[in-house]
Amino acid sequence: MAASQTPSSPQAAPLVPREPFLTKRRAFSIVGLIIFLGFFAIPIYQTILLEMWDSPRQLTQQIVIGLTKGTYIAVIALGYTLVYGILELINFAHGDLFMIGAFLALIFISLFGLDPKTSSGITIFFSLIGILGLVMVCTALMNAGIERFAYRPLRNAPRLAPLISAIGMSFVLQNVGIFLGDGLIWDKLAAGLGSDAIGRVADAMGTQSVAPKNIPDLLPNGQVFFIPDSLKYTYKDLLVAVVSLGLLAGLYSFVRFTKLGKAIRATAQDRDAARLMGINADRTISVTFLIGGALGGAAGMIVGLYNGTALFSMGFTAGLLSFTAAVLGGIGNILGSALGGLLIGLILALSDQYIGTRWSNAVIFAILVLILLFRPTGLLGQEGGQKA
Amino acid sequence: MPNTKRYLITGGVGFAVGTFFLWNYPNLGLGSALLGGLVIAALCLLYSAPLADMIKAGLIAGMFGAVMTIVYGTHKPGVAIIAGMVSGLGAGLLAFQRSPQANPKKAAILGAEAGAIAGAWTGLSLFVMAFVIAPAAGIDAGDFAEHLSETVILADVLGLGSDILILLFAFAFSTLSGAILGAASCAARSLPLRPNIPLLAVIALPVLLIPLIDRAGNLLLLDALIPIYIFILLALGLNIVVGYAGLLDLGYAAFFAIGAYTTAMLSSPHLGINLSFWLVIWVAAAVAAIAGLTLGAPTLPLRGDYLAIVTLGFGEIVPILFRSLGGGPPGGTLTLRFFGMPIGIEQVDLTGGNKGINPISPPHLPLIGDFDPSNKIPWYYLLILIMGLAIFFINRLRDSRQGRAWMAMREDELAADAMGINVVRTKLLAFSMGAMFSGFGGAFYGAFIGAIFPSSFDFSVSIILLCMVILGGLGNMTGVIVGGLLIQGADKMFIPKGAELFRRIAETKARAEGSSTVGVSALQDLTQQRLLLFGIVLVVMMLVRPEGLLPNERRKAELHPDDDTINSNSVAAEAEADPSLAA
Amino acid sequence: MAPLLQARGITKRFGGLTAVSDVSFEIEKGSIVGLIGPNGAGKTTFFNMITGLYTPSDGDMIFDGKRINGTKPSEVTKLGIGRTFQNIRLFAHMTALENVLVGQHCRMHTSLLGTLFRTASMRAEEKAARQKAFELLEYVGLGRNSADEMAKNLPYGDQRRLEVARALATDPKLLLLDEPTAGMNPKETDALTELIYRVRDERDLTVLLIEHDMKVVMGISERVTVLDRGIKISEGLPREVQTDPKVVEAYLGTGHAAKGKGGGAPVFDKA
Repeated sequence: MAASQTPSSPQAAPLVPREPFLTKRRAFSIVGLIIFLGFFAIPIYQTILLEMWDSPRQLTQQIVIGLTKGTYIAVIALGYTLVYGILELINFAHGDLFMIGAFLALIFISLFGLDPKTSSGITIFFSLIGILGLVMVCTALMNAGIERFAYRPLRNAPRLAPLISAIGMSFVLQNVGIFLGDGLIWDKLAAGLGSDAIGRVADAMGTQSVAPKNIPDLLPNGQVFFIPDSLKYTYKDLLVAVVSLGLLAGLYSFVRFTKLGKAIRATAQDRDAARLMGINADRTISVTFLIGGALGGAAGMIVGLYNGTALFSMGFTAGLLSFTAAVLGGIGNILGSALGGLLIGLILALSDQYIGTRWSNAVIFAILVLILLFRPTGLLGQEGGQKA
Repeated sequence: MPNTKRYLITGGVGFAVGTFFLWNYPNLGLGSALLGGLVIAALCLLYSAPLADMIKAGLIAGMFGAVMTIVYGTHKPGVAIIAGMVSGLGAGLLAFQRSPQANPKKAAILGAEAGAIAGAWTGLSLFVMAFVIAPAAGIDAGDFAEHLSETVILADVLGLGSDILILLFAFAFSTLSGAILGAASCAARSLPLRPNIPLLAVIALPVLLIPLIDRAGNLLLLDALIPIYIFILLALGLNIVVGYAGLLDLGYAAFFAIGAYTTAMLSSPHLGINLSFWLVIWVAAAVAAIAGLTLGAPTLPLRGDYLAIVTLGFGEIVPILFRSLGGGPPGGTLTLRFFGMPIGIEQVDLTGGNKGINPISPPHLPLIGDFDPSNKIPWYYLLILIMGLAIFFINRLRDSRQGRAWMAMREDELAADAMGINVVRTKLLAFSMGAMFSGFGGAFYGAFIGAIFPSSFDFSVSIILLCMVILGGLGNMTGVIVGGLLIQGADKMFIPKGAELFRRIAETKARAEGSSTVGVSALQDLTQQRLLLFGIVLVVMMLVRPEGLLPNERRKAELHPDDDTINSNSVAAEAEADPSLAA
Repeated sequence: MAPLLQARGITKRFGGLTAVSDVSFEIEKGSIVGLIGPNGAGKTTFFNMITGLYTPSDGDMIFDGKRINGTKPSEVTKLGIGRTFQNIRLFAHMTALENVLVGQHCRMHTSLLGTLFRTASMRAEEKAARQKAFELLEYVGLGRNSADEMAKNLPYGDQRRLEVARALATDPKLLLLDEPTAGMNPKETDALTELIYRVRDERDLTVLLIEHDMKVVMGISERVTVLDRGIKISEGLPREVQTDPKVVEAYLGTGHAAKGKGGGAPVFDKA
């Protein structure tokens, strides 16, 4: 009841108390942190810093890798931010949509018979652009469909209801990933339709539906620049960064400068007021999900090609990373999410190198918790980002 | 369809009950049938539906019986008969329970009617199995009669040979058991007892008798039941957090892990500390509760969905910690530098890393000695005791000042604050209480399995528990138990069994077509559809029945003052009316 | 006698906006005081500063000799300020009885262990609490048969009464009523007015009510303070305030001020 009443009553809006920064709780947390840093963590930090100092080349390499990763993390994070901005819903299924994007990319690549050994560079280039479009259309429609059937009926429900529904959709999508990755299903389809192309998909998927799938290495591997023993930067890295940044820029200008973008911003500000101004809130929300889905799918394809694999559970980790990125930058804020993505990519790469990959998830989560505790609005979030 | 939910509830429980004794050999036809009947009797006492409902409920139970038969009968044909009997017994009881005619004769007739309906269903399912499913799965239908005569003594005596006779037998037995139980429960009702005593007895008796039946029939039922009960215990703890206090906790498995690892570290040769289980279980619960406090203190003031994500984070970090705090090479050192000076830290293998901790010492009792992993009976009773105590104490908590504060906070945090309830403290209490019960669960789990691995505590555990709580009904312990039986029954019993059946069918078909590949696609392999099941449960429950299958009695009355008034608008109304989900 | 509640130069700023500016006033023990003003006058902000939802940017809020600036709402309630809400905020899915029991929460002492082991003192306390809850329900005019009714299912007027009962259950010295008659018909309003008097007289309470409907406030309050745009513009007996040109102007705009002067009270009948 509380949640459903609050937005409608004019009185309730300012009821969220403003806390002074140094509450008792925060003071405790800070003291705890200092004790932790002083007695336990300083040797570790020192070790890490010295290790960085010892090999600046390695550090530079990791920074380059981190920023590249950061660009696609930012693209996924935007999906969270857009939806959160407009519905205040953590779209849990978004990470899994990203995974579906990777699977769809593999399916289309197999259907078109692209092969790094036999296909010409031009063919690959134009096919990939076409496939990117196809993947984006598919995931966009899926995302909008999910919104229509799993979230929209819960628009006026208590706010945890759509979140639970989103968690459920995340699991459903993971299972869709298992189905898509099952060579036997494709085999039957190929036999039934007598199609070689589908047979190629079946071959690409193999017989183990839950096993990681190999995506052919279609991106150019040449070096953009290369300093012996230290730094390398391939066209692949460059391409990933350029495409991701392009998507970010495109989205930013869409939301900033088009009429639909304005509608999205208006609906995010105040759905009821936007409706009074003649904005169709449902349609605006659908458009937001379409865009979010397209971004998720595109990121899935980019990451799939970049890393060369697709796995049905890859959306979970990626989703958490990008959600953290969105929160770090200020959820609901497009530029903030982009910034958060880059930072998280950087942190991830450094933590992989200097702390160990097994700790990376823990590091990311620790960051998430710390942000939520000390600055829930994120780096670029406005005051009152934690809207009531 | 005004009464659909009631049928679904009844049938659903019939389904779950069915899984118990269909799990294995049907050597104890009558005993296990009675068991099922008793459970259904408990159910109909709980949900006092009018007569017509009862008959229809029996019908639904029978339908579920039919599904069970189809899924299970392949391997153990005699089971089908029992399914029929149980449906009959249940239906008989249901038909009788609330009928105004408190007359054993009439009750017997009603029971017989309902039993007959259920029996017909069972007969139909037997038929389908014998002539459709069994051939498809490459099983000789001729086995049926043979198996049956081994299973049910009467069948042998009467010399029942043909399939048709077996069907008739199932039908007759179902009718008969319906009549008997109808009459018996009518007689029981006239006894001068407090109304909840027979109810308790009816629930407790089968639960307590299961190990004896299990041993007599060599059913190996307990192997499956104990893990299910452990999960139900955990779900009861989670229900405090999610159901009573309205805090969405997506990392509940972390506390389970903490309880289990505490037990493992303190009660195993791994670290050389080998304390008694009876001490360690308390330590584990306390450590889990303290962990709940420590994790909750900074995060609980966060708003609902942020809290969900942060708890999810803890749920991820805790297994990572346990994975990483050990498992390195013995005697290895980690070199750190402190202001340039190297310090070597000897690595202590605290948690065994990925390999986990193995073995963990079992509990020891004077008369029984060490609990034996192969003899599950003491384990079972110990767990029942822990669960009983948990239910008892959670009940007390709910009906107290603290419980009311949880519910008030769930309803309207701001108003609760204004009524003098310290919201953060109240949340912390809920969090630590929830954690404490999962600590007990974790301690028992560690000792029972005898070994723990970090992979047993991942995100899917938290989600399964959440599914159990949401499916059964937030804030209602009966609901959580039923939801737990359903989800866990599906996860640990039906899905594996069904998957086996489907695989056999697929293989038979492949052989018939002369195809050499015998692979089973993900669409046919039910074990690969667990995630789908949980996902669908969450989404559909939110959309259709946010209050759960067995909502809180009061809330049920609230949401459905009159069953006939349900209309299409009520979905939104229900969603709105469900306070436990309010942030 | 020292006043029960004393506001000294209370100011509240939100960013650049000053919602309440240098407001001082006092509430004598045992009085019924109205705080009125047109929409957006800062009444609710002021109210929230008393109940602890906001901390004043400036000034002191003194209750019963204690400075309560920035005290948490639950602590304020413990000190003895009970409140109702403008848009009823009952615990909708709890029974009327439970709502009142929740109100008594801060006056009960049973610890966690006491609850788990259901000690004799816990049972005694619980029994006394129930007894008191029933009494309060009857006191505000809700019969015993409403006790097991879900709060949500009560008629509107009864919900208001239940809110009062719940606030009374916190054993307040000062009762804050936020637009208690909003949405009520004249009959219900009269009944509630009567209840407010009874509460004050029989339970030795002080009452502060917020209203924007002048007519209601005039009927109930003994003293009235008028806020407009965050500033206290008038204070005194209802009749004095009613004819204060500043008040008339605040409510009806300058154009009506002249007329109001001549016409006196009737102006507010239209408001």
